Amino acid sequence: MTEAVQNVSQSQIEVENLNLWYGEKQALKNISMQISKNSVTALIGPSGCGKSTFIRCLNRMNDLIKNCRIEGRVLIEGKDIYGPDVDAVDLRKNVGMVFQKPNPFPMSIYDNIAYGPRIHGANKKDLDGIVEQALRSAAIWEETSDRLKSPALSLSGGQQQRLCIARTLAVKPRIILFDEPTSALDPISTSRIEELIMNLKKDYTIVIVTHNMQQAARISDYTGFFLMGELIEFGQTRQIFHNPQERSTEDYITGRFG
Amino acid sequence: MVRERYFQQLDLLKKCVLSFGELAELIFRDSMSSVIDLDISLAEKTLALEFEADKLEGRIEASVFDLLALQQPMASDLRLVVSTLKISADLRRVVGLSMNIAKIPGRMEGGHVKPLIDTGKMANIVAFMLENSLRAFETQDAQLAREVAARDEEVDKLFYAVWVELIEMMAKDTSIISRATNLLFLIRYLERIADHCCNICESVVYLVTAKKVTLN
Repeated sequence: MTEAVQNVSQSQIEVENLNLWYGEKQALKNISMQISKNSVTALIGPSGCGKSTFIRCLNRMNDLIKNCRIEGRVLIEGKDIYGPDVDAVDLRKNVGMVFQKPNPFPMSIYDNIAYGPRIHGANKKDLDGIVEQALRSAAIWEETSDRLKSPALSLSGGQQQRLCIARTLAVKPRIILFDEPTSALDPISTSRIEELIMNLKKDYTIVIVTHNMQQAARISDYTGFFLMGELIEFGQTRQIFHNPQERSTEDYITGRFG
Repeated sequence: MVRERYFQQLDLLKKCVLSFGELAELIFRDSMSSVIDLDISLAEKTLALEFEADKLEGRIEASVFDLLALQQPMASDLRLVVSTLKISADLRRVVGLSMNIAKIPGRMEGGHVKPLIDTGKMANIVAFMLENSLRAFETQDAQLAREVAARDEEVDKLFYAVWVELIEMMAKDTSIISRATNLLFLIRYLERIADHCCNICESVVYLVTAKKVTLN
């Protein structure tokens, strides 16, 4: 806990007065948040509250949506990612993302992992090492080392998700965004991914959107509660789940909504 | 409300603790009356109630484990569940100490060695503390909890005064040692019950404010 508190001073992501509209509809309202390095930050809130929209602002995934307009600043390591000289592809290399449904490419396990490094110009002779390292870091090496040429789609759902995490790690990002990474997985696969996320924070900064409140409580250092496009409360996870300061946070996490 | 059944369970748990509290109050008052009046039949009636207390304690524990295992309470709900478990343990000790008190009349052949004036005062304060610590729990009133716990000091002072008095009496007249020792035990039990009331008050402050405090 003390370590996490000290890390507040080393913000890796700083969001300042972020507003976002889909056409006329405002989806994010004046969000400011500082996310510290080597921490896990969980974002919770009911469907449609803006948490996924928010996380997608952190690697400019919303650029791809028509009629989406953004105001405010998102600084990553001090640099505004919406600045004119920022290349979105480079940004997404540094800020990786893992989605709700595992989405391996329809190719071999090996090629899934090698895909990113190849695009970014990795040397062919380094590829074997990069693939092994990524699979090891995503805790799936043991299960795949003897079948690297098999189709990735032959893996189970939980394995596919770890493969997708390995694929993200292979391009050496500094931040990883998880958008409900376990909502399609069984409890054992979920535990594996949770354990993995907690281990990954040694080397990465992690932001995770989850509908599973116990998951947020288990794995995160900080929790943000979103409601109707606003960040209602943001603080240490222990505080949020033990003694939230805002009534609506309390109502949400104890199931008193609606 | 989306978790209707869950809220009913929480409500039931709270009511169960309050019923346990009422039973503990009744047992305490009757055990004190049985000592003051040396009423052996009331003492026996009181001793027979221990079994009811065990039943209630068991129900509260089962309900707490069910809620923790099946509902994963959070925030103030979690504090309520944890507090009820602690309060229930304190109430069980209050009942246990009251049982010890109710056993005294059977050992007091020859009557009291002195009028129970200060001891009666102690008992009244303890009864007030027990009643109001439970009211503070019921109404989630941290201020009342603090006020109730503050009265522990009066109990401690009376305990010490009666203690000294009894020791002096025994030094002068050794024939009363057996009966006077029973009174020493009595005031010790009262002092302990007051401490358990303070614990209940601490649980109430935690429930309301999420802060751990020491009140005695």
